[in-house]
Amino acid sequence: MAASLKQRHRTEKAMTAKSHQYDLILNLVRRNFILQFKGSLLGLLWALLLPLSQLVIFVFLFRRVVPLKIPDYPVYLFTGLLPWNWFSMSINLASSLFITNRDLVRRPNFEPSILALVHALSNLVTYLISLPIVFILIATSGRRLTWTVLLLPVIMLIQGTLIVGLSLFLATWNVFYRDLQHITGVVLGLMFYVTPVFYSIENVGREYRSLFTLNPMAVLIQAYRAILYDGTVPDVSTLLVATAVSITICGLGYLAYRRDIQGVYDFL
Amino acid sequence: MDIVLEAERVSKRFRIARNRPSSLKELFIQGLKGRSSKTADELWALREISFTLKKGRSVGIIGHNGAGKSTLLRLICGLGRPTSGRIQYWGKIGSLLELGGGFHFEMTGRENLIMGGILGGLSKRQVEALQKEIIAFAELEKLIDQPVRTYSSGMYLRLAFATAIHFDPDFLIIDELLAVGDSQFQKKCLDRLQSFRIAGKSLLMVSHNLDQIRAYCDEVLVMEEGRILMQGDPESAVRAYYDIMRQRTERRQAKMEVVQPSLPIQQGNRYGTQEVTITAVRFIDGDDRITDHISSGSPLTVELEYFRTNTVSDMACTLGVFNENNTKCFEAHASSIRATSGQLSERASIRCRLPELPLLPGRYYINIGLFPTDWSFVYDHHNGMHFLHVMNENEMPVNVSGVVMVRPHWTVRSQDPS
Repeated sequence: MAASLKQRHRTEKAMTAKSHQYDLILNLVRRNFILQFKGSLLGLLWALLLPLSQLVIFVFLFRRVVPLKIPDYPVYLFTGLLPWNWFSMSINLASSLFITNRDLVRRPNFEPSILALVHALSNLVTYLISLPIVFILIATSGRRLTWTVLLLPVIMLIQGTLIVGLSLFLATWNVFYRDLQHITGVVLGLMFYVTPVFYSIENVGREYRSLFTLNPMAVLIQAYRAILYDGTVPDVSTLLVATAVSITICGLGYLAYRRDIQGVYDFL
Repeated sequence: MDIVLEAERVSKRFRIARNRPSSLKELFIQGLKGRSSKTADELWALREISFTLKKGRSVGIIGHNGAGKSTLLRLICGLGRPTSGRIQYWGKIGSLLELGGGFHFEMTGRENLIMGGILGGLSKRQVEALQKEIIAFAELEKLIDQPVRTYSSGMYLRLAFATAIHFDPDFLIIDELLAVGDSQFQKKCLDRLQSFRIAGKSLLMVSHNLDQIRAYCDEVLVMEEGRILMQGDPESAVRAYYDIMRQRTERRQAKMEVVQPSLPIQQGNRYGTQEVTITAVRFIDGDDRITDHISSGSPLTVELEYFRTNTVSDMACTLGVFNENNTKCFEAHASSIRATSGQLSERASIRCRLPELPLLPGRYYINIGLFPTDWSFVYDHHNGMHFLHVMNENEMPVNVSGVVMVRPHWTVRSQDPS
């Protein structure tokens, strides 16, 4: 009797689980999003103000102070800056995911790894909101969008995989070793400079270029540029490496999470 | 009968690491010193726990703080894994643990309600269908679209409870939270639990409120130091619980230097570790006079003076009125004296005012106890030591028995056809 009850429960579970997970993720993302701007006067505008202020500073620096001689620099900068912001905002807060959402993690039947996905998606929303600015910049600079823009979701998917994987590592292990949140801050700060966000990989000496292939964010930003700035298909071989790296990180992140989550419950 | 939950020889060990590196720096240094970081103390929170919960039954768990009750409930909910043994359940589990967990103060009540419902395992559509009922249950119709941070703590708990209880689980796990809201709301919650039981569902509840355990459980587990000490019907379980309390007090007392009770005992008995000693007990009537008799229905203030040793920083106090047959007429407790008075003075007097005491005339005992706030043993308990005469100034009501003063007025109205 007990066994049949269990079986019935399993099938019911399988039927509703999918749509339920979807509802759960969607609502958590929406909540994060609402919370981000609740109580602030400018609200949603803040999501745009940060990248716009970065734009002003960088355009001034690399046109007037240290000219980089990149045509349509605002477009060039923005196509790299927005995905970088998505990455750095996600990773910066990923370490504290389980700690700040302690009451969610400790809820029965709640799968904590969902938080990593929700976190990546919430920051993706911010990215998507600023994306129209890129299109406006492209239009005003006289450049043209090509069909390659349809490849954008693919690149985003790869980047999302990377972010979720890293977030799982950071969120799990930061529960035990709180240094991680400080380390990620430092590493992100340095990584910004070894990722061609505000400069072009053409500015880098040839002998170092292959090193950049190992940095998945560098490859991904190159891909975004190819799509939005050059209107060409991104370099497939480096992109495949980045995809493999992202999927591996995501897989390892999940394994680490699986292995240590029971410890997280005991520790939190 | 169907089994909905089964725990088989469940044990849980926590490592309390003394030298556990809490940062990478320490980990690194320990690595350099070549010393193992695993000099952990072990704490067995649960040992070989086995029990079953059958469909339609309700099982209560009592035990003192640290006995392992909450750990057990958390393991059942899937938060953490037993070190050995296993827990199986069949059906949908509903829990009232961590009430309001996942609520966010900046979001409105309605947003939190929907989030809470989805977290509880419903789809958004199902929650939306239920939301009216939940809001009505929580009595928050007017404020539901206000941010939760503007709610009083009672309103917050009402919403959390209403959200948690409106799902349709096969069994419900409750950790000490029937003390939500005002008495009317509490009654609603208890009614809800009752109908839940009538519907043939199972309950597993942890409570310190022994009266609730008696009222709601078919069977009770008494836990002590991670073990199930006994399992049985509520009455014998409650007796076992009091026995543990007495044993703990005696053990503790044996370890301490004996402070001589400074109050002569003429009748009754007292026991406790005397870390806090009741040095005087006085009854004060409505005219501020110290007395040992009051008239029925008039106010009474009970004043006790205590002296505490410096090991005690807070305590709980009980005050009970019992008749000569040792029937409880009334009992009240203050779960934290510190919460009402602030810093606990070394010597102080505590007063409890009862605006009216509608007791039938007779002799009553006022039993007073001081306990640590987790109620795990006894500081000082006076049982049958102080008595109070309740007199009657007007005429004695005739043909009345019991404890409460009522004045029955009998009439007969004929219904014969005239």
